[in-house]
Amino acid sequence: MESHPSYALLSELTTKYPRTAGSLLQTYNDLKLAQQWEDLEVFEVPSCSRGAFKGQRPNTTAVLYVIPCSLSESLSLSWFRDAFEDMGKPPHIYLAINAEDSNIVYYKLSPGIVKPPV
Amino acid sequence: MSLIAPSNKAGGSGKGGPRRQENNRIYANPLPLLLTPTQAKGYLSPHRIWGIFGISGTIIENPHCKGLFDRATKSVWVTNHRDAMILWRRGFFGKGDLSRSEPSWHTRQVNARRDAGKSLTSEELREKRRAERRQFKMDRARAIAEAAAEAEAAFAEGREASVIAIPSGATWKPQPSSATGQPQLVAKMTVDAVEDDVEEEETLEDVEHLQLTLQEAFFVIWNLDCLTILDPLTHEPLSLRDIWSTFQQAHWPSGPAVSLSRIYADRFDNPFLVNYVAYHYYRSLGWVVKGGIKFCVDLLLYKRGPVFQHAEQVNLSPFAVVVIPVYEDPEDRKTSPFELNNAEPFTWSWLSTINRVNTQVQKTLILTYVTIPARTRVDTALLSSPACLAHYSVRDVVVRRFIPARMRD
Repeated sequence: MESHPSYALLSELTTKYPRTAGSLLQTYNDLKLAQQWEDLEVFEVPSCSRGAFKGQRPNTTAVLYVIPCSLSESLSLSWFRDAFEDMGKPPHIYLAINAEDSNIVYYKLSPGIVKPPV
Repeated sequence: MSLIAPSNKAGGSGKGGPRRQENNRIYANPLPLLLTPTQAKGYLSPHRIWGIFGISGTIIENPHCKGLFDRATKSVWVTNHRDAMILWRRGFFGKGDLSRSEPSWHTRQVNARRDAGKSLTSEELREKRRAERRQFKMDRARAIAEAAAEAEAAFAEGREASVIAIPSGATWKPQPSSATGQPQLVAKMTVDAVEDDVEEEETLEDVEHLQLTLQEAFFVIWNLDCLTILDPLTHEPLSLRDIWSTFQQAHWPSGPAVSLSRIYADRFDNPFLVNYVAYHYYRSLGWVVKGGIKFCVDLLLYKRGPVFQHAEQVNLSPFAVVVIPVYEDPEDRKTSPFELNNAEPFTWSWLSTINRVNTQVQKTLILTYVTIPARTRVDTALLSSPACLAHYSVRDVVVRRFIPARMRD
Protein backbone atom coordinates (compact mmCIF):
# COMPACT_ATOMS: atom_id res chain seq x y z
CA MET A 1 0.00 0.00 0.00
CA GLU A 2 2.84 2.35 0.87
CA SER A 3 4.16 2.23 -2.67
CA HIS A 4 0.92 3.47 -4.20
CA PRO A 5 1.19 7.08 -5.44
CA SER A 6 -1.91 8.12 -3.47
CA TYR A 7 -0.43 6.98 -0.18
CA ALA A 8 1.62 10.13 0.45
CA LEU A 9 -1.44 12.33 0.73
CA LEU A 10 -3.14 9.98 3.18
CA SER A 11 -0.15 8.87 5.25
CA GLU A 12 -0.96 11.10 8.19
CA LEU A 13 -4.44 9.67 8.62
CA THR A 14 -3.47 6.08 7.86
CA THR A 15 -0.86 6.08 10.59
CA LYS A 16 -3.21 7.74 13.05
CA TYR A 17 -6.15 5.43 12.34
CA PRO A 18 -4.66 2.16 11.04
CA ARG A 19 -7.90 0.20 11.23
CA THR A 20 -9.55 2.32 8.58
CA ALA A 21 -6.45 2.79 6.42
CA GLY A 22 -7.52 0.28 3.78
CA SER A 23 -10.98 1.73 3.18
CA LEU A 24 -9.56 5.26 3.18
CA LEU A 25 -7.06 4.44 0.45
CA GLN A 26 -9.54 2.47 -1.65
CA THR A 27 -12.16 5.19 -1.50
CA TYR A 28 -9.61 7.88 -2.30
CA ASN A 29 -8.40 5.98 -5.36
CA ASP A 30 -11.92 5.40 -6.57
CA LEU A 31 -12.97 9.04 -6.19
CA LYS A 32 -9.80 10.57 -7.56
CA LEU A 33 -8.88 8.20 -10.38
CA ALA A 34 -12.00 6.30 -11.39
CA GLN A 35 -14.74 8.87 -10.75
CA GLN A 36 -12.37 11.76 -11.51
CA TRP A 37 -13.60 14.03 -8.75
CA GLU A 38 -12.23 17.56 -8.68
CA ASP A 39 -10.85 19.53 -5.72
CA LEU A 40 -10.74 16.36 -3.65
CA GLU A 41 -9.72 17.11 -0.07
CA VAL A 42 -9.28 14.76 2.84
CA PHE A 43 -10.02 15.84 6.40
CA GLU A 44 -10.25 14.19 9.77
CA VAL A 45 -13.47 13.12 11.50
CA PRO A 46 -12.30 12.47 15.07
CA SER A 47 -15.59 11.18 16.48
CA CYS A 48 -15.62 8.37 13.91
CA SER A 49 -11.87 7.71 14.10
CA ARG A 50 -11.23 8.04 10.42
CA GLY A 51 -10.69 10.45 7.57
CA ALA A 52 -13.36 11.63 5.16
CA PHE A 53 -13.41 13.34 1.78
CA LYS A 54 -15.08 16.29 0.20
CA GLY A 55 -14.99 17.23 -3.44
CA GLN A 56 -17.02 17.78 -6.57
CA ARG A 57 -18.10 15.42 -9.28
CA PRO A 58 -16.66 16.34 -12.68
CA ASN A 59 -18.39 19.32 -14.33
CA THR A 60 -20.52 20.13 -11.27
CA THR A 61 -20.19 22.73 -8.54
CA ALA A 62 -21.94 21.07 -5.60
CA VAL A 63 -19.57 19.98 -2.85
CA LEU A 64 -20.21 16.40 -1.76
CA TYR A 65 -19.01 14.63 1.37
CA VAL A 66 -17.93 11.01 1.49
CA ILE A 67 -17.06 8.97 4.58
CA PRO A 68 -15.48 5.54 4.05
CA CYS A 69 -16.12 2.39 6.04
CA SER A 70 -15.52 -1.31 5.59
CA LEU A 71 -18.09 -4.05 5.06
CA SER A 72 -17.13 -5.81 8.25
CA GLU A 73 -17.82 -2.81 10.50
CA SER A 74 -20.96 -2.34 12.55
CA LEU A 75 -22.21 1.22 12.51
CA SER A 76 -24.87 2.81 14.67
CA LEU A 77 -27.21 5.75 14.32
CA SER A 78 -25.21 7.73 16.85
CA TRP A 79 -22.15 7.14 14.66
CA PHE A 80 -24.00 8.70 11.75
CA ARG A 81 -25.12 11.59 13.93
CA ASP A 82 -21.54 12.24 15.02
CA ALA A 83 -20.39 12.04 11.41
CA PHE A 84 -22.92 14.67 10.34
CA GLU A 85 -21.87 16.91 13.22
CA ASP A 86 -18.16 16.65 12.56
CA MET A 87 -18.46 17.14 8.83
CA GLY A 88 -20.20 20.46 9.32
CA LYS A 89 -23.85 19.33 8.96
CA PRO A 90 -24.03 18.97 5.18
CA PRO A 91 -27.46 18.25 3.64
CA HIS A 92 -26.37 14.71 2.84
CA ILE A 93 -23.27 12.56 3.04
CA TYR A 94 -22.23 9.50 1.09
CA LEU A 95 -21.18 6.40 2.96
CA ALA A 96 -18.59 4.48 0.93
CA ILE A 97 -18.78 0.81 1.92
CA ASN A 98 -15.61 -0.98 0.85
CA ALA A 99 -15.41 -4.70 0.17
CA GLU A 100 -12.19 -6.71 0.09
CA ASP A 101 -12.40 -7.29 -3.65
CA SER A 102 -12.22 -3.48 -4.12
CA ASN A 103 -15.93 -3.04 -4.87
CA ILE A 104 -17.29 0.14 -3.31
CA VAL A 105 -21.00 0.73 -2.76
CA TYR A 106 -22.05 4.31 -2.02
CA TYR A 107 -25.10 4.99 0.14
CA LYS A 108 -26.57 8.46 0.36
CA LEU A 109 -27.54 9.43 3.90
CA SER A 110 -29.61 12.44 4.88
CA PRO A 111 -30.62 13.52 8.36
CA GLY A 112 -34.36 12.99 8.60
CA ILE A 113 -36.90 11.95 5.97
CA VAL A 114 -36.22 13.08 2.41
CA LYS A 115 -38.63 12.68 -0.50
CA PRO A 116 -37.01 11.18 -3.60
CA PRO A 117 -36.40 13.81 -6.32
CA VAL A 118 -38.54 12.13 -9.04
CA MET B 1 -15.54 -9.30 -26.85
CA SER B 2 -13.13 -8.02 -24.31
CA LEU B 3 -14.42 -4.52 -23.92
CA ILE B 4 -11.02 -2.94 -23.91
CA ALA B 5 -9.14 -4.88 -26.56
CA PRO B 6 -9.41 -3.28 -30.00
CA SER B 7 -11.45 -5.26 -32.43
CA ASN B 8 -10.36 -5.77 -35.99
CA LYS B 9 -13.71 -7.00 -37.18
CA ALA B 10 -15.96 -4.73 -39.16
CA GLY B 11 -18.98 -5.37 -36.98
CA GLY B 12 -16.85 -5.16 -33.89
CA SER B 13 -19.33 -3.77 -31.42
CA GLY B 14 -22.25 -5.93 -32.46
CA LYS B 15 -23.86 -8.19 -29.95
CA GLY B 16 -24.62 -11.81 -30.62
CA GLY B 17 -22.50 -13.96 -32.87
CA PRO B 18 -19.20 -12.09 -33.35
CA ARG B 19 -19.07 -10.91 -29.74
CA ARG B 20 -19.79 -14.34 -28.37
CA GLN B 21 -17.14 -15.88 -30.60
CA GLU B 22 -14.65 -13.26 -29.51
CA ASN B 23 -15.49 -13.93 -25.86
CA ASN B 24 -15.17 -17.67 -26.39
CA ARG B 25 -11.75 -17.13 -27.83
CA ILE B 26 -10.43 -14.77 -25.16
CA TYR B 27 -11.93 -16.55 -22.17
CA ALA B 28 -11.34 -20.06 -23.43
CA ASN B 29 -9.26 -21.22 -20.47
CA PRO B 30 -11.15 -21.71 -17.21
CA LEU B 31 -8.01 -21.74 -15.07
CA PRO B 32 -4.63 -19.97 -15.18
CA LEU B 33 -2.83 -23.24 -15.85
CA LEU B 34 -2.74 -24.28 -19.48
CA LEU B 35 -2.87 -27.97 -20.25
CA THR B 36 -1.56 -28.86 -23.67
CA PRO B 37 -2.26 -32.48 -24.51
CA THR B 38 0.54 -34.14 -26.41
CA GLN B 39 -0.10 -35.53 -29.86
CA ALA B 40 0.45 -39.27 -29.57
CA LYS B 41 1.21 -40.81 -32.90
CA GLY B 42 1.14 -44.55 -33.27
CA TYR B 43 0.38 -47.32 -30.84
CA LEU B 44 3.87 -47.68 -29.53
CA SER B 45 4.55 -44.00 -28.89
CA PRO B 46 6.13 -43.38 -25.48
CA HIS B 47 3.14 -41.37 -24.33
CA ARG B 48 0.77 -44.24 -24.94
CA ILE B 49 3.02 -46.60 -23.06
CA TRP B 50 3.38 -44.25 -20.12
CA GLY B 51 -0.37 -43.82 -20.26
CA ILE B 52 -0.82 -47.47 -19.41
CA PHE B 53 0.92 -46.82 -16.13
CA GLY B 54 -1.28 -43.82 -15.45
CA ILE B 55 1.35 -41.22 -16.27
CA SER B 56 -0.06 -38.48 -18.43
CA GLY B 57 1.96 -36.82 -21.14
CA THR B 58 0.12 -33.57 -20.83
CA ILE B 59 2.32 -30.56 -20.51
CA ILE B 60 1.28 -28.05 -17.87
CA GLU B 61 2.14 -24.46 -18.62
CA ASN B 62 2.32 -22.37 -15.45
CA PRO B 63 2.22 -18.60 -15.84
CA HIS B 64 3.95 -17.97 -12.46
CA CYS B 65 2.22 -14.73 -11.52
CA LYS B 66 3.36 -12.46 -8.72
CA GLY B 67 1.28 -10.55 -6.22
CA LEU B 68 1.84 -8.32 -3.19
CA PHE B 69 0.04 -8.86 0.07
CA ASP B 70 -1.63 -5.73 1.43
CA ARG B 71 -2.72 -5.96 5.04
CA ALA B 72 -4.72 -2.74 5.17
CA THR B 73 -7.15 -3.71 2.43
CA LYS B 74 -6.96 -7.45 3.30
CA SER B 75 -6.17 -8.36 -0.29
CA VAL B 76 -3.46 -9.30 -2.74
CA TRP B 77 -2.46 -6.76 -5.37
CA VAL B 78 -1.24 -7.85 -8.78
CA THR B 79 0.38 -4.83 -10.37
CA ASN B 80 2.02 -6.51 -13.36
CA HIS B 81 -0.33 -6.05 -16.32
CA ARG B 82 0.48 -9.40 -17.94
CA ASP B 83 -0.18 -11.33 -14.73
CA ALA B 84 -3.35 -9.37 -14.09
CA MET B 85 -4.77 -10.15 -17.53
CA ILE B 86 -3.85 -13.83 -17.22
CA LEU B 87 -5.59 -14.15 -13.87
CA TRP B 88 -8.65 -12.29 -15.15
CA ARG B 89 -8.93 -14.00 -18.51
CA ARG B 90 -8.34 -17.51 -17.24
CA GLY B 91 -10.91 -17.94 -14.53
CA PHE B 92 -12.05 -14.36 -13.74
CA PHE B 93 -9.94 -14.09 -10.62
CA GLY B 94 -9.78 -10.67 -9.06
CA LYS B 95 -11.10 -7.26 -10.04
CA GLY B 96 -9.44 -4.12 -11.33
CA ASP B 97 -9.51 -1.73 -8.41
CA LEU B 98 -10.55 1.26 -10.52
CA SER B 99 -12.96 -0.62 -12.77
CA ARG B 100 -16.14 -2.59 -12.57
CA SER B 101 -14.47 -5.90 -13.37
CA GLU B 102 -11.68 -6.15 -15.91
CA PRO B 103 -8.84 -3.68 -15.26
CA SER B 104 -9.76 -1.13 -17.90
CA TRP B 105 -8.88 2.18 -16.24
CA HIS B 106 -5.93 3.00 -18.48
CA THR B 107 -7.91 2.25 -21.64
CA ARG B 108 -10.79 4.40 -20.43
CA GLN B 109 -8.47 7.33 -19.79
CA VAL B 110 -6.83 6.96 -23.20
CA ASN B 111 -10.27 6.66 -24.82
CA ALA B 112 -11.52 9.74 -23.02
CA ARG B 113 -8.57 11.79 -24.15
CA ARG B 114 -8.70 10.58 -27.68
CA ASP B 115 -12.50 10.58 -27.73
CA ALA B 116 -12.56 7.63 -30.05
CA GLY B 117 -14.82 5.61 -27.80
CA LYS B 118 -16.49 3.53 -30.49
CA SER B 119 -16.49 0.38 -28.43
CA LEU B 120 -17.58 1.47 -24.98
CA THR B 121 -16.10 -0.03 -21.86
CA SER B 122 -18.60 -1.34 -19.34
CA GLU B 123 -18.17 1.80 -17.22
CA GLU B 124 -19.07 4.04 -20.15
CA LEU B 125 -22.08 1.87 -20.94
CA ARG B 126 -23.13 2.18 -17.32
CA GLU B 127 -22.98 5.99 -17.49
CA LYS B 128 -25.05 5.95 -20.65
CA ARG B 129 -27.61 3.66 -19.04
CA ARG B 130 -27.79 5.89 -15.96
CA ALA B 131 -28.32 9.01 -18.06
CA GLU B 132 -31.15 7.29 -19.91
CA ARG B 133 -32.75 6.16 -16.67
CA ARG B 134 -32.57 9.70 -15.30
CA GLN B 135 -34.28 10.98 -18.43
CA PHE B 136 -36.96 8.31 -18.15
CA LYS B 137 -37.66 9.26 -14.55
CA MET B 138 -38.02 12.93 -15.47
CA ASP B 139 -40.35 12.08 -18.35
CA ARG B 140 -42.43 9.92 -16.05
CA ALA B 141 -42.60 12.57 -13.33
CA ARG B 142 -43.67 15.16 -15.87
CA ALA B 143 -46.36 12.85 -17.25
CA ILE B 144 -47.68 12.13 -13.77
CA ALA B 145 -47.81 15.85 -12.98
CA GLU B 146 -49.64 16.51 -16.25
CA ALA B 147 -52.13 13.75 -15.55
CA ALA B 148 -52.78 15.14 -12.07
CA ALA B 149 -53.26 18.69 -13.39
CA GLU B 150 -55.59 17.39 -16.11
CA ALA B 151 -57.64 15.45 -13.57
CA GLU B 152 -57.93 18.55 -11.37
CA ALA B 153 -59.01 20.71 -14.28
CA ALA B 154 -61.51 18.13 -15.49
CA PHE B 155 -63.00 17.75 -12.02
CA ALA B 156 -63.34 21.52 -11.66
CA GLU B 157 -65.16 21.71 -14.99
CA GLY B 158 -67.21 18.60 -14.29
CA ARG B 159 -66.05 16.63 -17.33
CA GLU B 160 -64.15 13.40 -17.95
CA ALA B 161 -60.38 13.72 -17.78
CA SER B 162 -58.62 12.84 -20.99
CA VAL B 163 -56.15 10.00 -20.62
CA ILE B 164 -52.49 10.99 -20.54
CA ALA B 165 -50.00 8.22 -21.24
CA ILE B 166 -47.52 7.67 -18.42
CA PRO B 167 -44.33 6.08 -19.73
CA SER B 168 -43.45 2.67 -18.35
CA GLY B 169 -39.96 1.26 -18.06
CA ALA B 170 -40.62 -1.45 -20.61
CA THR B 171 -41.81 0.73 -23.46
CA TRP B 172 -39.98 4.06 -22.99
CA LYS B 173 -37.38 4.94 -25.59
CA PRO B 174 -34.71 7.60 -25.14
CA GLN B 175 -35.49 10.78 -27.08
CA PRO B 176 -32.75 12.20 -29.30
CA SER B 177 -33.30 15.65 -27.74
CA SER B 178 -32.04 14.32 -24.43
CA ALA B 179 -28.58 14.05 -25.88
CA THR B 180 -28.19 17.83 -26.24
CA GLY B 181 -25.97 17.92 -23.20
CA GLN B 182 -23.47 15.51 -24.65
CA PRO B 183 -22.31 17.04 -27.94
CA GLN B 184 -21.00 20.12 -26.14
CA LEU B 185 -19.07 17.95 -23.73
CA VAL B 186 -17.65 15.92 -26.58
CA ALA B 187 -16.55 19.07 -28.40
CA LYS B 188 -14.79 20.35 -25.31
CA MET B 189 -12.94 17.12 -24.83
CA THR B 190 -11.65 16.94 -28.38
CA VAL B 191 -10.26 20.48 -28.15
CA ASP B 192 -8.40 19.67 -24.94
CA ALA B 193 -7.32 16.33 -26.28
CA VAL B 194 -5.64 17.89 -29.30
CA GLU B 195 -3.61 20.23 -27.11
CA ASP B 196 -2.64 17.83 -24.35
CA ASP B 197 -2.61 14.67 -26.41
CA VAL B 198 1.10 14.28 -26.87
CA GLU B 199 2.21 15.01 -23.31
CA GLU B 200 -0.68 13.33 -21.51
CA GLU B 201 -0.49 10.02 -23.31
CA GLU B 202 3.17 9.65 -22.67
CA THR B 203 2.97 10.53 -19.00
CA LEU B 204 -0.19 8.58 -18.16
CA GLU B 205 0.96 5.86 -15.83
CA ASP B 206 -1.29 2.90 -15.23
CA VAL B 207 -1.99 3.11 -11.50
CA GLU B 208 -4.56 0.37 -11.50
CA HIS B 209 -3.88 -3.07 -10.10
CA LEU B 210 -5.85 -6.28 -10.03
CA GLN B 211 -7.15 -6.91 -6.54
CA LEU B 212 -7.63 -10.48 -5.38
CA THR B 213 -9.44 -11.29 -2.18
CA LEU B 214 -7.51 -13.44 0.28
CA GLN B 215 -9.77 -16.36 -0.61
CA GLU B 216 -9.14 -16.07 -4.34
CA ALA B 217 -5.41 -15.71 -3.81
CA PHE B 218 -5.20 -18.71 -1.52
CA PHE B 219 -7.23 -20.85 -3.90
CA VAL B 220 -4.91 -20.02 -6.78
CA ILE B 221 -1.79 -20.60 -4.68
CA TRP B 222 -2.79 -23.75 -2.87
CA ASN B 223 -4.65 -25.61 -5.60
CA LEU B 224 -3.00 -24.35 -8.77
CA ASP B 225 0.36 -23.07 -7.56
CA CYS B 226 0.52 -20.31 -10.14
CA LEU B 227 0.82 -17.28 -7.90
CA THR B 228 3.70 -16.17 -5.71
CA ILE B 229 3.00 -13.68 -2.95
CA LEU B 230 5.67 -11.22 -1.98
CA ASP B 231 5.90 -9.55 1.38
CA PRO B 232 5.07 -5.85 0.81
CA LEU B 233 8.10 -4.54 2.71
CA THR B 234 10.85 -7.00 1.93
CA HIS B 235 9.57 -8.26 -1.43
CA GLU B 236 10.56 -11.76 -0.43
CA PRO B 237 8.27 -14.58 -1.52
CA LEU B 238 6.21 -16.05 1.31
CA SER B 239 6.06 -19.77 1.91
CA LEU B 240 2.69 -21.53 1.87
CA ARG B 241 2.77 -21.89 5.64
CA ASP B 242 3.50 -18.16 6.04
CA ILE B 243 0.71 -17.29 3.64
CA TRP B 244 -1.78 -19.46 5.53
CA SER B 245 -1.02 -17.82 8.86
CA THR B 246 -0.65 -14.30 7.44
CA PHE B 247 -4.06 -14.48 5.81
CA GLN B 248 -5.66 -15.47 9.08
CA GLN B 249 -3.79 -12.78 10.98
CA ALA B 250 -5.01 -10.16 8.54
CA HIS B 251 -8.31 -10.31 10.42
CA TRP B 252 -6.71 -9.65 13.76
CA PRO B 253 -6.74 -6.00 14.75
CA SER B 254 -3.50 -4.21 14.04
CA GLY B 255 -1.88 -2.64 17.03
CA PRO B 256 0.76 -3.08 19.66
CA ALA B 257 -1.22 -5.23 22.14
CA VAL B 258 0.47 -8.59 21.77
CA SER B 259 -1.50 -10.15 24.59
CA LEU B 260 -4.69 -9.68 22.63
CA SER B 261 -3.42 -11.96 19.89
CA ARG B 262 -4.10 -14.94 22.10
CA ILE B 263 -7.80 -14.17 21.94
CA TYR B 264 -7.75 -14.04 18.18
CA ALA B 265 -5.41 -16.96 17.55
CA ASP B 266 -6.47 -20.57 17.18
CA ARG B 267 -10.04 -19.88 16.27
CA PHE B 268 -11.99 -21.81 13.72
CA ASP B 269 -14.33 -18.87 13.14
CA ASN B 270 -11.70 -16.61 11.64
CA PRO B 271 -13.54 -14.81 8.81
CA PHE B 272 -10.85 -15.83 6.32
CA LEU B 273 -11.41 -19.52 7.06
CA VAL B 274 -15.20 -19.39 6.98
CA ASN B 275 -15.27 -17.47 3.71
CA TYR B 276 -12.56 -19.65 2.24
CA VAL B 277 -14.58 -22.80 2.91
CA ALA B 278 -17.52 -21.44 0.92
CA TYR B 279 -15.27 -20.09 -1.83
CA HIS B 280 -13.36 -23.35 -2.21
CA TYR B 281 -16.56 -25.39 -2.19
CA TYR B 282 -18.05 -23.55 -5.15
CA ARG B 283 -14.82 -23.06 -7.08
CA SER B 284 -13.97 -26.74 -6.86
CA LEU B 285 -17.41 -27.52 -8.31
CA GLY B 286 -16.54 -25.40 -11.32
CA TRP B 287 -18.43 -22.18 -10.60
CA VAL B 288 -16.81 -18.79 -11.10
CA VAL B 289 -17.18 -17.08 -7.72
CA LYS B 290 -17.21 -13.28 -7.40
CA GLY B 291 -18.10 -10.88 -4.63
CA GLY B 292 -21.76 -10.01 -4.15
CA ILE B 293 -21.79 -6.73 -2.25
CA LYS B 294 -23.75 -5.02 -5.03
CA PHE B 295 -26.69 -7.34 -4.45
CA CYS B 296 -26.61 -7.47 -0.64
CA VAL B 297 -25.15 -10.97 -0.69
CA ASP B 298 -21.76 -12.51 -0.06
CA LEU B 299 -20.99 -14.33 -3.32
CA LEU B 300 -22.19 -14.50 -6.89
CA LEU B 301 -21.86 -17.75 -8.81
CA TYR B 302 -21.44 -17.67 -12.56
CA LYS B 303 -21.47 -20.76 -14.74
CA ARG B 304 -18.72 -19.60 -17.09
CA GLY B 305 -18.03 -16.03 -16.06
CA PRO B 306 -19.55 -12.56 -15.71
CA VAL B 307 -18.84 -11.82 -19.35
CA PHE B 308 -21.09 -14.64 -20.53
CA GLN B 309 -24.03 -14.04 -18.28
CA HIS B 310 -26.06 -10.95 -17.63
CA ALA B 311 -28.98 -10.39 -15.36
CA GLU B 312 -31.24 -9.83 -18.37
CA GLN B 313 -31.07 -13.48 -19.32
CA VAL B 314 -33.11 -15.04 -16.58
CA ASN B 315 -32.25 -18.66 -17.10
CA LEU B 316 -28.54 -17.93 -17.28
CA SER B 317 -28.29 -15.35 -14.56
CA PRO B 318 -25.86 -15.95 -11.72
CA PHE B 319 -26.78 -17.28 -8.31
CA ALA B 320 -26.60 -15.04 -5.27
CA VAL B 321 -25.11 -16.78 -2.24
CA VAL B 322 -25.43 -15.71 1.37
CA VAL B 323 -22.88 -17.43 3.59
CA ILE B 324 -24.32 -18.24 6.99
CA PRO B 325 -21.83 -19.46 9.58
CA VAL B 326 -23.22 -21.99 12.02
CA TYR B 327 -21.39 -22.75 15.21
CA GLU B 328 -21.28 -26.40 16.16
CA ASP B 329 -20.71 -25.33 19.74
CA PRO B 330 -22.73 -22.31 20.91
CA GLU B 331 -20.03 -21.53 23.48
CA ASP B 332 -17.67 -20.68 20.66
CA ARG B 333 -19.99 -17.98 19.48
CA LYS B 334 -20.09 -16.37 22.90
CA THR B 335 -16.32 -16.27 23.18
CA SER B 336 -15.78 -15.15 19.61
CA PRO B 337 -13.82 -11.92 19.09
CA PHE B 338 -14.84 -11.81 15.43
CA GLU B 339 -18.15 -10.35 14.39
CA LEU B 340 -19.16 -12.75 11.66
CA ASN B 341 -21.93 -11.55 9.41
CA ASN B 342 -25.17 -13.52 9.59
CA ALA B 343 -24.08 -15.67 12.53
CA GLU B 344 -27.21 -14.64 14.40
CA PRO B 345 -30.44 -16.23 13.22
CA PHE B 346 -32.02 -14.42 10.28
CA THR B 347 -35.13 -12.41 10.94
CA TRP B 348 -37.92 -13.01 8.44
CA SER B 349 -37.84 -9.35 7.43
CA TRP B 350 -34.15 -9.53 6.53
CA LEU B 351 -34.61 -12.73 4.55
CA SER B 352 -37.55 -11.20 2.71
CA THR B 353 -35.53 -8.08 1.90
CA ILE B 354 -32.63 -10.00 0.42
CA ASN B 355 -34.94 -12.26 -1.51
CA ARG B 356 -36.86 -9.32 -2.88
CA VAL B 357 -33.71 -7.50 -4.00
CA ASN B 358 -32.45 -10.55 -5.79
CA THR B 359 -35.76 -11.38 -7.42
CA GLN B 360 -35.84 -7.84 -8.79
CA VAL B 361 -32.44 -8.31 -10.39
CA GLN B 362 -33.38 -11.81 -11.49
CA LYS B 363 -31.00 -13.81 -9.43
CA THR B 364 -31.79 -16.94 -7.46
CA LEU B 365 -30.92 -16.79 -3.79
CA ILE B 366 -28.92 -19.60 -2.19
CA LEU B 367 -28.29 -19.86 1.53
CA THR B 368 -25.02 -21.62 2.24
CA TYR B 369 -24.59 -22.89 5.76
CA VAL B 370 -20.97 -23.35 6.81
CA THR B 371 -20.62 -25.33 10.02
CA ILE B 372 -17.71 -24.23 12.18
CA PRO B 373 -16.18 -27.11 14.15
CA ALA B 374 -16.21 -26.95 17.94
CA ARG B 375 -12.93 -26.16 19.68
CA THR B 376 -13.69 -28.87 22.20
CA ARG B 377 -13.95 -31.57 19.58
CA VAL B 378 -11.27 -30.62 17.07
CA ASP B 379 -7.72 -29.84 18.05
CA THR B 380 -6.88 -26.21 17.30
CA ALA B 381 -3.33 -27.23 16.37
CA LEU B 382 -4.83 -28.27 13.03
CA LEU B 383 -5.28 -24.57 12.25
CA SER B 384 -1.62 -24.29 11.29
CA SER B 385 -2.38 -25.91 7.97
CA PRO B 386 -5.31 -26.20 5.54
CA ALA B 387 -5.95 -29.68 6.92
CA CYS B 388 -8.48 -28.09 9.29
CA LEU B 389 -10.74 -27.34 6.33
CA ALA B 390 -11.82 -30.98 6.27
CA HIS B 391 -13.71 -30.41 9.51
CA TYR B 392 -15.98 -27.71 8.12
CA SER B 393 -19.15 -28.77 6.36
CA VAL B 394 -21.22 -26.94 3.80
CA ARG B 395 -24.92 -27.25 3.09
CA ASP B 396 -26.84 -25.14 0.61
CA VAL B 397 -30.50 -24.31 0.29
CA VAL B 398 -32.17 -22.53 -2.62
CA VAL B 399 -34.77 -19.96 -1.66
CA ARG B 400 -37.47 -18.76 -4.05
CA ARG B 401 -40.57 -16.72 -3.46
CA PHE B 402 -43.66 -18.74 -4.23
CA ILE B 403 -46.79 -16.88 -5.23
CA PRO B 404 -49.56 -19.45 -5.79
CA ALA B 405 -51.69 -17.05 -7.79
CA ARG B 406 -48.98 -16.32 -10.34
CA MET B 407 -46.75 -19.34 -10.50
CA ARG B 408 -48.70 -22.13 -12.01
CA ASP B 409 -45.96 -23.95 -13.87
